[in-house]
Amino acid sequence: CTKDLDVTTKDDQDLIGEDFFKDETSYKRLLAGVYANLSLTGVDGPESSNIEGLDAGTSQFGRVLLYLQTLSADQMIWSYENDPGTREIQRNIWNADDPVVLGMFGRTHVTIAFANNFLRETTDAKLDERDVSTATRAEIKTFRAEARLLRAMSYYYMMDLFGKANFATEEDPINAIPQAYDRAQLFDFVETELKAIDADLADPLANEHGRASKGVAWMILAKIYLNAEVYIGQPKYTECLDYSKKLIAGGYSLATDYKHNFMADNDVNTAKNEIIFPLISDGTFTKNYGPTTVMINGSVGSIEANGTALGVGAGGWGGALRLRKQFVALFDGGIYNNDRRNGIISGTRSREITDISDKDQGYILEKYSNATSTGSFGADQTFVDTDFPLFRLADVYLMYAEAHLRGGAGGSNTDMESYINSLRSRANNPQNNLTATDITLDFIIDERARELHWEAHRRQDLIRFGRFTGGNYNWVWKGNGSNGISLPAHLKLYPIPSASLASNPNLTQNIGY
Amino acid sequence: VVKEKATGEPLPGVSVVVKGTTRGSQTDFNGNFTIEKVKTGDVLVFRYLGFADKEVSIGTNFNITVELDESAEQLDEIVVVGYGTTTVKDATGSVESITAKDFTKGNIVTPENLLSGRVAGVNITTDGAPGAGSQIRIRGGSSLDASNDPLIVIDGLPMAGSAGGSRGVLASINPNDIESFSVLKDASATAIYGSRGANGVIIITTKKGRSEYSLDYDFQMGFGEVRNRINVFDGDAFRTLAPQKFPSLAGLLGTANTNWQDEIYQKSVSTQHNLTARGQIFGVIPTRLSIGISSIEGNLLTSNFDRATFSVSMNPSFLDNHLKINLNYNRAFEDNRFADKGQIGAALRYDPTQPVRDSSSPFGGFYQHYTRDANGIIISQGTRNPVAALLQNSDLSNVFRQYGNLKIDYNFHFLPELTATVNAGFDKTSADGTRVNSLNSPASYTDLFIGNDSAYTNEVSNESLDTYLNYVNTFGKLKTDVMAGYSYQTFNGSGTDTGNKRNVNGAVPTTRDDTPVVLIGFLARANLTFNEKYLLTLNYRRDGSSKFGPENRWGNFGGAALAWRMSDEDFLKDSKVISELKLRASYGVNGQQDIDGSDLYLDRYRFGNTDSQYIIGGNPILSTIPGGRSFLRWEKTATVELGVDYGLFDNRITGSVNAFQKNSTDLLSKAPVADGSNFTNRIFQNIGEMKVNGLEFTVNADVIKQEDFNWNASFNATYIDRKIEKLALGQDITKGGISGGTGNFIQLHSEGFAPNSFYVYKQLYNTAGKPIEGAFADLNGDGIINTQDKYLKEDPFADVTFGFQSSIDYKNFDLAFNLRASIGNYLYNNVNSSSAQYDLIQDNAVLGNIPTTVLNTDFQRTSDVILSDIYLENASFLRMDNITLGYTFDRPIKKFASNSIRIWAGMQNVFTITNYSGLDPELANDGIDNNIYPRPRTILVGANIKF
Repeated sequence: CTKDLDVTTKDDQDLIGEDFFKDETSYKRLLAGVYANLSLTGVDGPESSNIEGLDAGTSQFGRVLLYLQTLSADQMIWSYENDPGTREIQRNIWNADDPVVLGMFGRTHVTIAFANNFLRETTDAKLDERDVSTATRAEIKTFRAEARLLRAMSYYYMMDLFGKANFATEEDPINAIPQAYDRAQLFDFVETELKAIDADLADPLANEHGRASKGVAWMILAKIYLNAEVYIGQPKYTECLDYSKKLIAGGYSLATDYKHNFMADNDVNTAKNEIIFPLISDGTFTKNYGPTTVMINGSVGSIEANGTALGVGAGGWGGALRLRKQFVALFDGGIYNNDRRNGIISGTRSREITDISDKDQGYILEKYSNATSTGSFGADQTFVDTDFPLFRLADVYLMYAEAHLRGGAGGSNTDMESYINSLRSRANNPQNNLTATDITLDFIIDERARELHWEAHRRQDLIRFGRFTGGNYNWVWKGNGSNGISLPAHLKLYPIPSASLASNPNLTQNIGY
Repeated sequence: VVKEKATGEPLPGVSVVVKGTTRGSQTDFNGNFTIEKVKTGDVLVFRYLGFADKEVSIGTNFNITVELDESAEQLDEIVVVGYGTTTVKDATGSVESITAKDFTKGNIVTPENLLSGRVAGVNITTDGAPGAGSQIRIRGGSSLDASNDPLIVIDGLPMAGSAGGSRGVLASINPNDIESFSVLKDASATAIYGSRGANGVIIITTKKGRSEYSLDYDFQMGFGEVRNRINVFDGDAFRTLAPQKFPSLAGLLGTANTNWQDEIYQKSVSTQHNLTARGQIFGVIPTRLSIGISSIEGNLLTSNFDRATFSVSMNPSFLDNHLKINLNYNRAFEDNRFADKGQIGAALRYDPTQPVRDSSSPFGGFYQHYTRDANGIIISQGTRNPVAALLQNSDLSNVFRQYGNLKIDYNFHFLPELTATVNAGFDKTSADGTRVNSLNSPASYTDLFIGNDSAYTNEVSNESLDTYLNYVNTFGKLKTDVMAGYSYQTFNGSGTDTGNKRNVNGAVPTTRDDTPVVLIGFLARANLTFNEKYLLTLNYRRDGSSKFGPENRWGNFGGAALAWRMSDEDFLKDSKVISELKLRASYGVNGQQDIDGSDLYLDRYRFGNTDSQYIIGGNPILSTIPGGRSFLRWEKTATVELGVDYGLFDNRITGSVNAFQKNSTDLLSKAPVADGSNFTNRIFQNIGEMKVNGLEFTVNADVIKQEDFNWNASFNATYIDRKIEKLALGQDITKGGISGGTGNFIQLHSEGFAPNSFYVYKQLYNTAGKPIEGAFADLNGDGIINTQDKYLKEDPFADVTFGFQSSIDYKNFDLAFNLRASIGNYLYNNVNSSSAQYDLIQDNAVLGNIPTTVLNTDFQRTSDVILSDIYLENASFLRMDNITLGYTFDRPIKKFASNSIRIWAGMQNVFTITNYSGLDPELANDGIDNNIYPRPRTILVGANIKF
């Protein structure tokens, strides 16, 4: 009876492919699996992970993105430097063995693999073979476009952070060694792909919450055009303006209160029309240590123990996150005292952080919250209900202004003024009547910080403004100097993780590492 | 009169029984005996330890003299090997047989500890929890990410793994039921177990029924105490230190002087009873029945292990011994209460100036740091009171295990040289447990008073069927023993967990049902002996495992061994010195498939738990992901071995020397896979090679052998060197997660180094020899201290281990002890590395204690120093495991023909000599000392009563 060696799975959470696809609702679940890799770490609770080589919680997509884009720059300090990788990221002394870098590279490529699998399993031939109904096929058409969108988004982040990626599509078999794409190839792919799927995607705000629409594709296009000089050495501000305008015309509107964007009910309060794409977080159904859970628990002060108002434990995580003084300075001046975006708590604290592990030094920030706009709280005291706003309209307004200032065609001063002032009005800032002469590029970079801090944009913005590497702008602990020192230019890209480099002979290490 | 044949000396204490009855007697000091009511035709059975049994038919002369032959001719001792037996004389491989007389004595709760220190190349490590499982390593283990556990076979039945909730795979087996162990080490011996033999095999044979009636009762009682403590600041010292370091927290100091470690340990009392009856039922079925009751208290508050075992074994023969039946059936019940080892760490950290109890505390009367928030809600702060955490937590499990086998040997009437054997067995364990944390204790720091209430079940089962034919015949000078067979095994596992039913957000219940594992093997073996001097063994096995896809499923394994009994050659036959000399050489290949994940080749999809879903349009959806896929094949371990078995001075001194090398190829190792090409970033692959070199030496000496004074001593030494030769793509693999920070690790698998080598920074010291905090050597010389300056230093495994046993019998006294030593094993002291820094005096918003070793380093911050090699310590040790002294009363009850009472006393864990600064230099968890359950020193008394 050697036939007994042909075993099959027995767990009710596991299905063999052929059984799984017998049920036509499986296609939506499989697509949800691709999305879930951005929001969750694994399928078996907060300690599980689809990738290995680092702590499960730390490997969450939004979390590693936050670390690489925000912690690495001038806005944030993480107190517990014995958490591997955090010290190297926030002091800009990372190397190819950094677990956070590995987390980003690994996590994002798993999204790519999941998307490829979705596309491989939903070809016309497969759907014919499984005799899938016409109604489901119609849905699958949109699903496929979304899978391609998530894949393109993954390549966008690889292009931005690493300048390279393993390039695999649904045509490549499992375990085949992928080719490596450089920045120009990735730019080309992302641009072409996003345009190709446009027709199949749902209109802005027309898709179910948690799924992506055309707005997400436009947002990524606007971003790659805004940064095109960095990526491929060509200015594409006109194109950036085109897509910014499409987004603004797409029906999005600012939340009535800035804070709504960062609250436990930001999926249903007025922020739902501002947030273009959220990373879903829910204390009951999506338990994981993602960016909002980390920032809400982490921002509770060591002295203040102010967690209860934020819907988490009073002590939170004992003061894990604090602010660097350069960011605090952006809110100096009376006009910012009542600015809704100014969540800085100074108390009896010193503004300086001379010792990173001293959690009583440095100001803290109250931005994200597990409280709702109606005064209640999220379901869980650790895992928050607050979605992470990966893309939102306010960013589009600022991109419009910047692309216009940088010479893009098709914009106007009037619109620019109106967008910038609308952000200020919404923030309750008295200085809400700025004119084109006030709105300079220097103003934009600071205003982006005031509006979009702790939202995983900062490193990209500083690089575009030439202030990340080099010594023209130093922040505390930049380059591991307590007052900041110049960074070498190669740090504009993260190193390819050693494990990833070794497992694909086609990949080469970034210059300087 | 009963005499020794060789010397003609009378033998005292020989048991004499009339066959088929309970009537019997024992010889006195002059070898004389009398039995009443004996008639012509009765058969008397003479039995004496160390001598061959003898049966004598009574003729007309009722005054008989019997001479017994010494069977210290150990050469004819039966040795159990896979699918059959052999004798010491005919063994060609590295097989060590340990029988009851050699067992390690003492507070033995689980069977493997009978073997501790006894066998060269076998290391057994057990922590201090009652009934705790052990890590057993035979020759160090030859796998990387696949299991390094040896295969354990009981009466031909390979054991399944342990079920969660049980203390371990061997915890439910009563050591008292064990007759002997055979440890198969070299490839020619293990190859017959092909698929599962790569890390050695331990064959356990249980005691069987006999035709004579006998009743044995064993009792023992143990009193245990954990004496060692980690040095932390006492209340007074802490009241001085804390305000110096954190003036703002001075107000939090209390007035008590609490030694929290004293508070969490208890003195323990444990008892074990064993009752064994043997005899013949219905006149034809030799039967053994045994009942064992153990009640073992742990030394950490609340920890407890109760076990009841019931075992029956029947072994009748029919049809003139042509049909032999062996039936074994066992039932075991474990009642466990687990104590959270983590509280050992909490006891180090808890503020010594606070009392254990506080009548005003809302936490059930236990002192706890807490604050109230604006709404008056109580929030507990910092570490939890460890005494409360132990006492308020009830972590119970009930385990029921039953296992047994039916073995039928049929010796063909028309061809008596041929025997057919069928052996069918099963092993099934079900555990159910509850975890309840009282309502006035927080489930975690941030939770409100919801406590915890959850329940779980786990089940594992294993069924096996072996059938084989055995042909034994002698053709002139050629003795042949040929066997061919088929083996089938299947393994299942499942479980449920309710999650915390008191969770206000709803429990997250989970279930698990493992993909079954099926192993099928076709096996054959030939033993050829020519002229009693030249021995050849050939093994072949073809194995299939359901863990591999159809294209890679089958593997071919086998081995060959040659032995030359040189001492039987003419030139040595008459030697006065060399009484036995056998040279052995063997080569064999074993397979390995025992990895986590039994279905990696299948096209699998898995949807998330209820707490791991995606939300679309406000509704949770069962988001589903494809499972990582790999197409694996067998890992192979080839072993080459040279050995010598020797006996000197009429075998007063015996022993063996072995040298071996194991080469593992196609190592099943979890390694990075090209990103984007699979559904994860690390997956099992067949990449990697490992080499194990070793030397083993044993000597056993009857130092003194006189009528009423015997001293036997044995010594073994093992040298093992393991090295990773190759890893997937040359990539290092991180190992050894540690506490202190999230996701830190301290070990690496790296090419050219031992597995689990420590990966640390090189600490720098000032001219006074004091370590400089955060200063490490810039080993790569790039001017930056970062992770690339870490280096590999030492590994957790001993280079050399020694075992020494001594047993002395003088008249009716017996004295035995054993010693073990380990040299070159290193430990990472995670207790110090994660807590001996001044910053930790602030524990969130309250105060916390730290080890006094901080005074040597003056380190401030954990993150600066946690990966420093200063915390890597040489943990070589010499330990006396136990010593026992006994006295035997011969036939104290004259009414019965044969009876004896032995009373004894002993001590377990007598002393340990080591330079290691932590609690215990010998740990099971691969070299990281963190929250270990320390072993108690136990004083034992007991009695063995035989009828």
